[in-house]
Amino acid sequence: MEFSASPIWFIALPMLAAFSSPLWVRWRVLDQLLLGIPLGLLLLALGLFATVQQAPLIETIVIAPPLGIHLHLDSAALLLVALFCFAVTLVAAFLWHGATETHLRGRQPFVLILLLLAGGNGLVLTGDLFNLYVFLEIAGISAYVLTAVRDDRPALAAGLKYLIIGSVAGVFFLLAVVLIYLQTGQLNMAAVAQAFAEIPPAMQGLIAVLALIGLGIKSELFPFNFWVPDVYRGSDPAITALFSGLLVKAFLFVLVHLAVLIWIDPEIARIWLMTLGALTLMVAELAALRQDEMRRMLAYSSLGQIGLILLAFGFLHESTAAGAFFHLISHTLAKLLLFLVAALLLRRVLSLHLDALTGAGRVYPLTVGLFVVGALCILGLPPLSGFMSKLWILQGFAAAQTFWPIALILVAALIEAGYYFRWIRVLYAPAAASAVTDSKTSKTAPESWATYAPLLLLVGLMLLLGIAPFVIEGALVDAARALLDRDLLIQSVLGVAAQ
Amino acid sequence: MLELLDWLDRPSVLHGLHLVGSLTLFVIGLYGLLGKRHLLKILMSLALMELAVNLLFIALATTSGETAPILSDGLTAFTGMADPVPQALILTAIVIGMAVLALGVSLAIRYHRLSASADIRALADAQD
Repeated sequence: MEFSASPIWFIALPMLAAFSSPLWVRWRVLDQLLLGIPLGLLLLALGLFATVQQAPLIETIVIAPPLGIHLHLDSAALLLVALFCFAVTLVAAFLWHGATETHLRGRQPFVLILLLLAGGNGLVLTGDLFNLYVFLEIAGISAYVLTAVRDDRPALAAGLKYLIIGSVAGVFFLLAVVLIYLQTGQLNMAAVAQAFAEIPPAMQGLIAVLALIGLGIKSELFPFNFWVPDVYRGSDPAITALFSGLLVKAFLFVLVHLAVLIWIDPEIARIWLMTLGALTLMVAELAALRQDEMRRMLAYSSLGQIGLILLAFGFLHESTAAGAFFHLISHTLAKLLLFLVAALLLRRVLSLHLDALTGAGRVYPLTVGLFVVGALCILGLPPLSGFMSKLWILQGFAAAQTFWPIALILVAALIEAGYYFRWIRVLYAPAAASAVTDSKTSKTAPESWATYAPLLLLVGLMLLLGIAPFVIEGALVDAARALLDRDLLIQSVLGVAAQ
Repeated sequence: MLELLDWLDRPSVLHGLHLVGSLTLFVIGLYGLLGKRHLLKILMSLALMELAVNLLFIALATTSGETAPILSDGLTAFTGMADPVPQALILTAIVIGMAVLALGVSLAIRYHRLSASADIRALADAQD
């Protein structure tokens, strides 16, 4: 096997770097590595697109002959891995030049962010259910600590809450894995997919419900997402950008992937996933209307978009799934931008409450301008990528003659417009000696251009994908095909056709 | 008496007992998770739930009479041994569970020092 062609690097390299961090501290290369490793992996992922298009890469690491770890890199997984590496690269660039907060510098966040990347990559790459559980916990534990890393009261409260709810999700998922093994004697996902139909229907239902509770909590679906705004509110916005951009997307992919693989009857899977997606979308958007704190508002908006993506994936149709992948990318870009803007604002104003931000647009034109661009991308206004991705999803539904999701998505977009424009209006309102101008003097000097570079890069990418979506169209369609083609996956792993 | 013991030793009865026992443990954990307010009690309930799942897996994957799946002391073939996969998995799950528990307890201690409270409701209310 060639050195560069192995999917194991996406997991092993961040882990190795994280665990040898004392060395990097001594050599003073932490910041460079935190940027360099995800960047290197991103380049590797981009280089692999052509190879994976031909056939998925499968890597089996054998420990002792019957036992082994199995990794499966197909177009869908590669797209997500590239996205994750990009998100981490961007946040690392932002932290390197922009972070003045001491808890976001140094060894702790270095280790945790790289482990989060390893966990996220592992979640989408693994072809084995128990490995999935291990990666779920790796990603989970690093996320709990990252939430609490500021080590003050709100951060610890958020971290504890995340830890408790995340562990409950882990237990439920573990129980589902245990039942699957007891029933089928298999842990390899392709083998489980083949054997699942022979399990008694009642047990099938129990396993599906347990896995759905576990993964539903992790991927922040209604009704398991009551904890999300508190966690997003308590942790740092730069970290939250990673949760919204990387972690949720990984769990969402796992949920859809398992649903496609294991549920034999696509009709039932479709009803469940689309109902959950639609409920998450509407409930979260309605809740976002009433939020007066920027991070909470962004958290609810993020939940709404997750619901939209699940709605499009859950249709289990190639055209909407390609749109869902596009929207997943577009939402990651926009939410990274919005949360990093929140991080910048938080550095200069004391609170991100709506009232405290009145007139901020006049004091910090560039920062707030970037917020507006991110908000417009979420709303789906041309020429930003959010427009194209929503259009793809709508076209997909229209082509399949299913119209209720279209109505739902348009209503949700109207609600989004309602609350985002409310925020934009307040941000540009005339500031009558508000807290913004007062706190400007008390806080530090203006940021350098290097702080804005990652944010401007995001805006550039949103524009590029909005104007020229054909750049990634091939990759998206391939990813949708790879995700939905159950037989192909079983065949490529086991070498036999599915029944 | 001996008949009773024999009856109890049959795989179906044994597995049934283990199933009922571990599910009871799971429900106790779930009750503690939902009904208790102290952070440490909640973390203990979590540990109990994990334990129940581990126990369920190990108990149902082995039948009495099987030996541990370790090749040593003249044992060179996998005959009469328990399935090694569940044991390896549960060992991993135990380690993960302990790590999460240790992290949870240390976060709870930090939180208690800063806020003089170990109440889950204070956690929920401490917003904005």
